[in-house]
Amino acid sequence: MSRWIGPVVLAMIAAVAAWYGTLAAAPSVIMDRAWNRLADQAGYNKMTHTPPVVAERQTIVRPSPDLAYSICAFDLTQAPLEVMIAPVPAHYWSLTVFDSVTDVAFVESDRDTGGKPIRLVLATADQAVPKGARKIVMPDAKGVALIRVLLNNRAEIGAVDAYRKQSFCRPLKG
Amino acid sequence: MRTGFRYGIMLVVGLVLGTGAAALQLKQSFAAMGIENGPWRTGEKVGTADASVATRATVALRGLLALPEREAIYFNASTDSQGRKLTGRCAYRVTGGAIDARWWSLTLYDSAGYLIPNPASVYSVGSAAIPPEEKTNWTVDIARKRTGTHWIAMPDDQPFELTLRAYHPSRELLAKRGSVPLPRIERGECGA
Repeated sequence: MSRWIGPVVLAMIAAVAAWYGTLAAAPSVIMDRAWNRLADQAGYNKMTHTPPVVAERQTIVRPSPDLAYSICAFDLTQAPLEVMIAPVPAHYWSLTVFDSVTDVAFVESDRDTGGKPIRLVLATADQAVPKGARKIVMPDAKGVALIRVLLNNRAEIGAVDAYRKQSFCRPLKG
Repeated sequence: MRTGFRYGIMLVVGLVLGTGAAALQLKQSFAAMGIENGPWRTGEKVGTADASVATRATVALRGLLALPEREAIYFNASTDSQGRKLTGRCAYRVTGGAIDARWWSLTLYDSAGYLIPNPASVYSVGSAAIPPEEKTNWTVDIARKRTGTHWIAMPDDQPFELTLRAYHPSRELLAKRGSVPLPRIERGECGA
């Protein structure tokens, strides 16, 4: 029986390591799949202004039907990314930039900007950006920028679209 | 039995058990996020590297691209206030008071975290729909057909979950997320 003590201890250590490793790896694996799905459906380095979510059309888990989403899956490999968010008056709106492991690299909402636009350049640490640009350093090349706009009711999507569709993301031209 | 074989087999057993436990933990509930308040579960430091490994994994799997808590806090429930699993076989009434945030919404999802198709396309109720006189004492019914002013459709018998989002939560709500009064979820009539 004593011959099994060592193997059992190894099994316990392996179980803890596998448990931790699975949980630790989940965000990057899940984000990678989501990024590929978004890029397949709408391309990348461009902003897609999606209509209000309905059950028949859901790309990301746990979407809010009370929000209008605009989403930009990005890849900074070739160039930094210029991001401009147009404010939507009298509405909650926010921009969140997620890195490839789901951590938030940037978030601001209408409360922070006082109703002014957000202008950013997303870049990796070694990429140069124009003087005066607001550089957000991303830990690696891939990520997702997401705009949320609160809809007081779904019928006002037309009025909200007039503002939010001015928002864009695009590779910075050298 | 050779020593090497014993170690090998137990290594595989350990890896399978650990991976399986993690997968089960993620799929079963939001309890991995750590903070309980009645039937509601939430976490801390969502969206940051400082969140626990379990919170990060749970959010990625069940609420990818969630906002950090300075923008929004998410409470999720898969049971009623008596601890019974939420199921479409029963009707429910959710009652609550003022929630200390800029706005809030209550949304129904299936157990994988997706909206459930229903003829009325009614998936949620938000604070914008609650008139001022009801802000401190509101009721939302969850049932096949509309039974009250504020209603979320639950069209079939499957298990479901509720997510309460509070945008721009107050400091007090963030500090006391595990103890502030949150909506009660009461089960009503159940079908066969």
